[in-house]
Amino acid sequence: MPQMQQTPSKLPRWGMVVDINRCVGCQTCTIACKHANDTQPGIQWRSVLDLEHGVFPNVQREFLVVGCQHCAEPSCVPVCPSGATKQRADGLVTMDYDICIGCGYCAVSCPYQARSIVHGKRWYFGQSTIQEETVQHEDRIGVAQKCTFCIERVDEALEVGADPATNTDYMPACAASCIAQAITFGDYNNPESKVSQLTRDNASFQMHKELGNDPQIRYLYELAATPGHATAAEDRSDEILSDAANPLVGKRQTFWDLRAAANFIFGGMGSSLAILASVFCLAGLIPEEALLKIHGSAGVIILTGLAIVGLEIGRKFRFLNVLRRPQSSWMTRETYCVAVFYPAILLDHLITIPGHHLLTGLAAFGFLYCQARILKAAKGIPAWRAPLIPWLIISTGMLEGAGLLLLGTASGLFDLAYTPAMAWIGVIAAASTGLLWKSYRKGAKEAGIPPLARRELEQISPLVSLAGHILPLVGFFLLTGFVGEGWLRDLTVTIAGMGAVLGGALWKFTLVTRASYHQGYDIPWLPQRGSGTRAAPARFGYSGTP
Amino acid sequence: MSTVKKRKISERKMVPVYCNQCVAGPDLLRVEVEDGVATRIESNYASASSHPAGGRVCVKAYGLIQKTYNPHRVKQPMKRTNPKKGREHDPGFVPISWDEALDLIAEKLKGIRARGLLDESGYPRLAFTSGGGGTPIQYMGTWPAFMSAWGKLDQGYGSGQGLKCYHSEHLYGELWHRSFVAAPDTPLCNYVIDCGNNVEASGGVQGVWRHADARVRGLKRIQVEPHLSVSAALSAEWVPIKPKTDPAFFFAMINHILLETDWRQRCDIPFLSGLTNSPYLIAPNGFYLRDPETGKPLIWDLTDQRAKPFDAPIGEPALTGSYTASGIEQGADQDRWEHQNVPVSPALQKLIDHIRPYTPEWAEKECDVPAATIRRIADEFVDHAQVGATIEIEGKTLPYRPVAIILGKTVNNGWGGYEVCWARTVLVTLVGALEVPGGLIGTMVKLNRPATSRHLSAVPMADGFMFYPFNETTEAGWQRNPDIRNAYKTLVPLVGHSPWSPALGPAHLPWLFQKEQPKNFPRQTNPEVWICYRSNPSISSLAASEVAERISEFPFTVCFAYTLDETNYLADVLLPDATDIESLQLMRIGSTKTVEVYWKHEGYAIRQPVTDRKVVDCRDMTDISTELARRVGLLKEYNEAINRGAAGVKLHGEGFDYRIDPARENSVEAIWDASARAASHELSGGGEVHDLAWFKEHGFMVREMSQLDWYLYSTIKEKGMRFELPYQERILRHGTQLARRLHGAGIEWWDRQLAEYEPLPHYASYPEIWINYAREVGRDPAEFPFWALTARSMQYSWGANAGIPLINEVATNVAGHKGVIINRSSARSMGIAEGDPVIINSPVGETRGFAVLREGIRPDTVLMIGQFDHWATPVAKDLHLPSINSLTAIALSLTDGTGSSSDLARVRIRKGDGPKRAN
Repeated sequence: MPQMQQTPSKLPRWGMVVDINRCVGCQTCTIACKHANDTQPGIQWRSVLDLEHGVFPNVQREFLVVGCQHCAEPSCVPVCPSGATKQRADGLVTMDYDICIGCGYCAVSCPYQARSIVHGKRWYFGQSTIQEETVQHEDRIGVAQKCTFCIERVDEALEVGADPATNTDYMPACAASCIAQAITFGDYNNPESKVSQLTRDNASFQMHKELGNDPQIRYLYELAATPGHATAAEDRSDEILSDAANPLVGKRQTFWDLRAAANFIFGGMGSSLAILASVFCLAGLIPEEALLKIHGSAGVIILTGLAIVGLEIGRKFRFLNVLRRPQSSWMTRETYCVAVFYPAILLDHLITIPGHHLLTGLAAFGFLYCQARILKAAKGIPAWRAPLIPWLIISTGMLEGAGLLLLGTASGLFDLAYTPAMAWIGVIAAASTGLLWKSYRKGAKEAGIPPLARRELEQISPLVSLAGHILPLVGFFLLTGFVGEGWLRDLTVTIAGMGAVLGGALWKFTLVTRASYHQGYDIPWLPQRGSGTRAAPARFGYSGTP
Repeated sequence: MSTVKKRKISERKMVPVYCNQCVAGPDLLRVEVEDGVATRIESNYASASSHPAGGRVCVKAYGLIQKTYNPHRVKQPMKRTNPKKGREHDPGFVPISWDEALDLIAEKLKGIRARGLLDESGYPRLAFTSGGGGTPIQYMGTWPAFMSAWGKLDQGYGSGQGLKCYHSEHLYGELWHRSFVAAPDTPLCNYVIDCGNNVEASGGVQGVWRHADARVRGLKRIQVEPHLSVSAALSAEWVPIKPKTDPAFFFAMINHILLETDWRQRCDIPFLSGLTNSPYLIAPNGFYLRDPETGKPLIWDLTDQRAKPFDAPIGEPALTGSYTASGIEQGADQDRWEHQNVPVSPALQKLIDHIRPYTPEWAEKECDVPAATIRRIADEFVDHAQVGATIEIEGKTLPYRPVAIILGKTVNNGWGGYEVCWARTVLVTLVGALEVPGGLIGTMVKLNRPATSRHLSAVPMADGFMFYPFNETTEAGWQRNPDIRNAYKTLVPLVGHSPWSPALGPAHLPWLFQKEQPKNFPRQTNPEVWICYRSNPSISSLAASEVAERISEFPFTVCFAYTLDETNYLADVLLPDATDIESLQLMRIGSTKTVEVYWKHEGYAIRQPVTDRKVVDCRDMTDISTELARRVGLLKEYNEAINRGAAGVKLHGEGFDYRIDPARENSVEAIWDASARAASHELSGGGEVHDLAWFKEHGFMVREMSQLDWYLYSTIKEKGMRFELPYQERILRHGTQLARRLHGAGIEWWDRQLAEYEPLPHYASYPEIWINYAREVGRDPAEFPFWALTARSMQYSWGANAGIPLINEVATNVAGHKGVIINRSSARSMGIAEGDPVIINSPVGETRGFAVLREGIRPDTVLMIGQFDHWATPVAKDLHLPSINSLTAIALSLTDGTGSSSDLARVRIRKGDGPKRAN
């Protein structure tokens, strides 16, 4: 690890200061970055947003430099299953394109929309040019990419004894190219550096500080001679933040689509079926002979989800890299659970020791739990990281499991005898899922779920509640003993069971693909300028009309 | 670890060139080359210590590589096979050899020379147009030498100038303070009132850099503008004024200062008394009262209550009041009055009387800005001026007045342009902030000579003011028959007769006259050969589609073509244009230039082919010029023009002679090698002479210059001159004489323009001119309730960037680059949502685009950034962006006395059919 010369005892902590008072939104940094880093069409590691606050005539406009914040506590790093994304000792968050599998987990875990994945080559004119071919980076196709703070320049600077904070040849391209001196690069560990001075002498903010990433871009909004002010409450109203054309509003993520949703849908169903089967067996409510069929079915269901999500990753032949980060990634752990689950099913039927079904059940539960935590850890998507999401995933799983168990029993698929306990589990799961769903929605705004995402959730809520919670609840309750054998029970099982399964599928599909709006950007403090109430007060001792 | 392909900074091959795509250039950059392929661009940081913006280039320069490798480029010379011209006719271009192309052109040119350079109307048979505010000169190599060798040619066909430039400021600015463009002395300024000048979009890297520094230092800028532009965004206050009413805003400020406050305590009295015409006595007919013996204008001395010549020792000059005095009054032509004991007043008193009706309450109704705001801004302006303060710069003590007022396009061109420029300059003059540190200062001269120095161009004339090269309006001197088709010498005395004057004349009139022959004027003819270089008038002109129709009528058009575009689609011969990084040229850099270009250095920089690996079969413009000169038989004259400095550097001078052989064809390298040696010789006084190879390696060479050169104040004082403000006697005289000449020739169609020649301009309701234009074309003004405006796009402007996808990608990050900006509430009331397709109609045109809803725009205004509506240019034609140029009209009623119009139109807007914008 190279070290800064002036602070030999201490590693640098690279970061940036962006002065909102200086930035003019010209996009010179954006395009200089595109040159320096050869990014593909449509990919901007650095860009500048054009914002408006207020309503005519009391309105102001400002420009916000965004990109990877090289967080001190980067939420993209622990989630990465392959270890392709790392944090260096000097704070820089790096990407290894040769390891990355392109799962997109880092991208949905970043609250700053800093990451992108491009599948395949792109050309500006639709056809390649010799220049684009010359600067083509094959290694970046199908994997995650983002701003590197021009890491190779910084490293080369240290190799040749130059200071990347002051030497424009070695500075990150955005900072060097800026025509307003709005972007300053430097070492926060060095108290003499300009970034340290600027943030020591002036008020600054970190974007989404409350999320705990400790981003290393600090924004100046007020200097000694230029006042600033807090963003008005009305600028953060639901109406304003529902405008998809507002650059502050997070875009809907596109990294995880139907294919990823399928894994949560099938995974939840299959794993919970396996769990319930194991538990029921352990409790003596299901004969051991029936387990193979049930676990087998569960295994097929889970495998279906896994196969589908496998189609989504950018570098499919590297899928085994998913196993490289068990120490922190729930996606890695999910895969390990799979690795235990299937052998456990086999094992179940080869050896018989007391409680041997438990391993299958535990692996299945581990799988379901990992799925719940995968979404929770995706910090970039407020609808996913909400506190109730893991509970909802697990509770829904139980509901789906009960539904499948009853459906499989009633249809004769599992060669099982009906037992009211199955229905009671369903009743409990339907009730708890219904309550959790309601509570999740009610707390959505408070949990920071943006209005556009809430709108998606609200749209499906009546159907989810009715078909996915109320019908199963009533149905399962009736099945606890109020309906006898016969067509009525079959009908009730079908309605309640299908409701449970489809209701779960619907909200998971919605959560993953529809309500999955990114965190968006935030600018809690603004320079004081604009018109009407937002205009700056007088400066330089203006004396007023004599 | 990252696996980004490693390119050691130290091992890169970087080729230095310059970028002059906009008038704020040149700025210096380096192109990285790998295996003969230009790959990346970055600023030439080696220039950081001398360049005023730390050696940076702006976003546009980064488009140059993609521009060069654009697969849609014209790859070889082409000729038209379809004789029918027009948008609807496929030109049927077929490839031809360079030899054939040059022969074709040379034959036409030789034919002209054989028959005479002028046609039967006295107009040049050869016409040449280039665009971009003169920036193409920095790319056309020795072509100016070819034009110089040729002789009389018509450079008055406009491609958008007049509307797209600071037209009235160019003319009046040069008259009043040698200021082709006026700028705040931003590094020292504390308070700027900015009416529609988007310095952050049009001021180049230096404008952005200087204002960013000033802003964080505490400079307060008030942006007065109908929409919240980038510059308004960065200003301390935004005043959303009604379009075209800026003069009313200023008139009311003057009214408040002079009639509502104790101006004698607050304004710069010594400056007004000693350095302006404020004390000059105005005689009954509106001309100066003059000393009968010397003819000098008189000033009333309060100490002994007598009128004295302006340059006599005067105890206390009267600025106000009425006095009884005698003298002569010299009017237009031979008009002369002898006055005995008549009441006369100083010019400043005339100003006070003149400005009395224009109260802030009156202005509030006119321009939709509260009277209280106008008063507050006027007071802030005066207070910030710190009248009486001084500053020491490079050991010299100068007045320090840190206030300025700047004007943007549409504000200072077309009707109201004179009034707004006048009122602005008067305001600055009242507090003595003209041409002093911190105040409003000029940049360069284009109409006065020598072009290299504002200070040398400021020479005194009889009445105590600077000489100005008015076109003659006397009976003997007036040009009855124009020498080019825009008639600038005939119609616009103020535009002068420098090499820049034809382009600054009424450059849209030839397009109009081609359609409607003006009465009692020479028959409008078409040029036999029209050459168009780096300009696309079919897109960039007002009434663009009409201009395209006119171009279609030209018999033989030669276009230097980068890609197919809307103008060269109508051409007969296309010559593939070399991009900025494919040809060679040395140019002057530094000193002070337009917008906010203020260096403390001056020198030369190079542009060169960055690689030998050719992309298309293009040739260096210098090579083409030499070839044509030879084929037309002008080689000697052409080479001699180069030696005289027609290509930018004079090749011989005191102690040096690097002249090229006039008799032979000189290579591109030989010509620029001589230029390199001459330039470095001149710059270093012979101490450091460098050849072309040195410039190719090092990129540029500069020497220091004094910051004192930024301010004209000392020159005015040292040469005993005065600023010709606030009273405009010369304007009155020329206007009166011009009216007599035109009427004498039976020309009455220029009468409205003649009304502009007032010594103290009155306000006319300028918006009404555009509102009522609908009637002229048989429409009801009520049909068109919105104002349509445009604004500069820093990302696109000039340099054929509309067809560069990389530029498009980053430009769309800036609001307005995806369509037409409409006030959100107005849009809602029309049922228009973000991204909806909209159709915008003016009384004469239509444009289409997608709605962009914003709060930062007046509810009665819509905004279209940049210039689009392409129908032939690859990539650009698929952008579906609207253009103001499709809505504006060419009309005499919309043309002001300086010969310019304004970039605005009255429009209606409605939701179109079809899908919403995709992104």
